[in-house]
Amino acid sequence: MTSSRSSGLAYVSLFAALVAVFGLIPKIDLPLGVPITLQTLGVMLAGCMLGPKKALQALLLFLAALALGLPLLSGGRGGLGVFVAPASGYLIGFPIGALATGLLMAYLPVSSPRRAAVSAFVASAVGGVLTIHICGVIGLVALAKLSWTQALWGTLVFVPGDLIKCVLCAIVVHSVARGLPDWRFGGRAFR
Amino acid sequence: MGSFYSDHRTWLHAVSASLKLILLAIFGTALFVFDNTVVLLACTALCLLFFASLGRATLPARKLLTMVVAAGLLITAFHAYMQQPLLGLVSALRLLSASLLGIALMLTTRANDLLDVLESWLSPLNRFGIRSNALALQLALMLRFTEHFFIQWKRLDDAHRVRTGKSGGFKLLAPLTIRMLTSAQRVADALDLRLPP
Repeated sequence: MTSSRSSGLAYVSLFAALVAVFGLIPKIDLPLGVPITLQTLGVMLAGCMLGPKKALQALLLFLAALALGLPLLSGGRGGLGVFVAPASGYLIGFPIGALATGLLMAYLPVSSPRRAAVSAFVASAVGGVLTIHICGVIGLVALAKLSWTQALWGTLVFVPGDLIKCVLCAIVVHSVARGLPDWRFGGRAFR
Repeated sequence: MGSFYSDHRTWLHAVSASLKLILLAIFGTALFVFDNTVVLLACTALCLLFFASLGRATLPARKLLTMVVAAGLLITAFHAYMQQPLLGLVSALRLLSASLLGIALMLTTRANDLLDVLESWLSPLNRFGIRSNALALQLALMLRFTEHFFIQWKRLDDAHRVRTGKSGGFKLLAPLTIRMLTSAQRVADALDLRLPP
């Protein structure tokens, strides 16, 4: 039987790669200086599939790869410069969002594929949308010198798109629950 | 897992993996710092010349490059539609330049060499109790999985096209995730045999 250490190494790397892959899919820039990307879907999936600890590790690994200069953010961005850009609050929010999604997913019911999907939607909405947006707004106020109201209104533009990502995350979790019935969502019993 | 590494020797194969990673980090950051269209056009032209200098070694990455160019055109078209053509052009140029550099690195550097470099760079972290070899292994695995995602996506998309005549799009996300989870489990099994207890 595979040890949890080896599984952890592989799955953490896999989900860090998933976030990177979503970053290679083209972004759409908004006038606020914040791009619409699919990467938050990767954050949501990491939290739901891996649980809090491994999801946090996956997103920290992704940020480490970025800091080393790999062009893994949407639009081919990378390097230390991305951590001081207007959208860096959202970036710092990735591991926190993954942690929050994983924590919620670990406690919500997953006894059937449908329940797992509903739980994934709720966990993603709170962890992958609310948490990341709170970090993003703080970043916009601190780095883009926007007022709290401006930053809050600005970030609301992304919410409908992010809710669609929550639905996508729930659909994937539903499919995984059916395709891999042994999978323990939220890291309950990591094999 | 498939690899983009090309056995067709080029001048870039002779450059050390560490120097290539350092240059990639510098240029990756520079691409983000500049937003002047003329400067970025010049950067993209330089990246194209650099990539073309690898000759036949670039053949394994032709399809990936076509996808990047198509993505760049889509970005530009979308931003032009949104009355921001220059912003679209800047994004597309950054994407193309960064992709060319990243692909050149993958074509000319073995995964093991990258792993060695990352491990040596991360070794100061050992003083703080962080196992640098495990972190380097995770970074290397991450890069290989990133490549593997594209390969698996292409296979699923081809199969979907054969069945339905059109691209799979987001419908492929769930089967792709299941395939990748299964791959990761196989990697974990292999790691279990190699890693020290």
